[in-house]
Amino acid sequence: MKRTVDVSIPLGPIHPCFKEPARLKCEAKGERIVSAEVELGYMKKGIERIMKGRPWQEVMFLAERVCGICSVIHNMVFIEAMEQISSISVPPRAAYLRVIANELDRMQSHLLANFSYCYTIEHETLGMYLLDLREQVMDELERLTGARVTCAYIIPGGVRCDIPCQNAELLQASLDRIEGDLRRYAGMFADGPMIALRSRGIGVLTQEAAQRAHAVGPTARASGITADGRLNHPTYRQLGFVPVSRADCDNYARIMVRFDEVALSIRLIRKCLHALPEGVIRGGGVCKAGEIRYSGEAPRGELTYFIKSDEYGRIVDIQIQTPSIMNIEACCHDMIIGVDSIADVTSTFVSADPCIACTER
Amino acid sequence: MTILQGIKNKVRARSIHVAYVDVGSCNGCDIEVLACLAPRYDIEQYGIFVHNTPREADILLVIGAYTPGWEEKLAMVWDKIPPPKAAVAIGNCPMSGCLFDRRGSFVDPPVKKHIPVAAEVPGCPPRPTEILQAILSVRDSVFANWEGEHP
Repeated sequence: MKRTVDVSIPLGPIHPCFKEPARLKCEAKGERIVSAEVELGYMKKGIERIMKGRPWQEVMFLAERVCGICSVIHNMVFIEAMEQISSISVPPRAAYLRVIANELDRMQSHLLANFSYCYTIEHETLGMYLLDLREQVMDELERLTGARVTCAYIIPGGVRCDIPCQNAELLQASLDRIEGDLRRYAGMFADGPMIALRSRGIGVLTQEAAQRAHAVGPTARASGITADGRLNHPTYRQLGFVPVSRADCDNYARIMVRFDEVALSIRLIRKCLHALPEGVIRGGGVCKAGEIRYSGEAPRGELTYFIKSDEYGRIVDIQIQTPSIMNIEACCHDMIIGVDSIADVTSTFVSADPCIACTER
Repeated sequence: MTILQGIKNKVRARSIHVAYVDVGSCNGCDIEVLACLAPRYDIEQYGIFVHNTPREADILLVIGAYTPGWEEKLAMVWDKIPPPKAAVAIGNCPMSGCLFDRRGSFVDPPVKKHIPVAAEVPGCPPRPTEILQAILSVRDSVFANWEGEHP
């Protein structure tokens, strides 16, 4: 009688394919994964504990360093929550500039996620193309905000610096270049027969399972759920925003959703530049006491801040809910179960774009 | 210096394997290390390969402010690297804790309390070119004329 060996395979915390430390404990029957469990706790710094009792001027920089990849959205959600508490209004030009910075950040985050996936399935050529494209986006982010990663661009009542006329033209020109390259690389991914062998039909997360696990962001949108936090944002509504979604539910769909979202971000930035109103970029205001729950759409999904501040603008209580934890759970309990080989475990995990720094804070 | 030693030095300087370990950062430095792989900076033209496996690494890039989850584990990773080896601290976090080293946080910086660090790159985060420069500056002092540990 043939005997099947049950193997327990730990992956991580240091793994050639993972950017950040996380331990993935898989129980396998032969090569088929029967159950999986994620072990976190390598990155817990206690940011929320540090934030309590500090003025918003300090918490603003701490909020940005919850996650280095999607730092602009953390900045944006925290500042907009403080603005809602203190009823500070934002000049229209600043609101559009915020959207430009946020979309550039989303582009670089998605390109990095797709690079990681291509690197994991050993398609290094496409990965390097995408990383090179990301550098062009980083240049634009640096030209707009002054820094590559943690830029602290958004402040209460406006943004830190304006975009001069010649920089807007440079941004426009480089968006054209990026769009051309992106179309080519997305085509390479969509048509590559070897990529399809490693991606299509692997790591399936059905719509019901995604709803059950509360998957968010591109992971949910690849399973046919058209939920996007940007639909509730006033500036995005002015721009006429329509979220992308796909119904294939596999690794391939998650990567293609990200490619589509980068193209969508390029269109949104073009609309912003076209309709950029004249005027001041800072309205001013004073941060006051209050309590609010405010959400925004991070590159990985819905990001929620619960903030309670006192009359001097100090943060009394703060809770952050980041998107990655739901996606990691969906990944462990649904996507990984039943994949045919151990090599697909890492690629499926990376396709959900987990951000451990966000998750543990 | 003998001719043989000269050849050894030349070959070793063109074959540096790098592993990186994140001991509790915000991810900003991780993505700047990854950006070094991009064709623009092209870390491999200097003979530096990012494999991220400690057992075949020469240089360990330490990122982050040392969280409790890494107690003992970081030293284990460091022991697994065969000599000659060097650790490079990337960013402000392993040097001072940056803004995470406050009352109420769990971090325990600096990293050089826990493993020997050969070079430090300040910045929050440092640019990819600075990371590259630090790795290149370490390789000569650590790997030149290295002859193994004699019992």
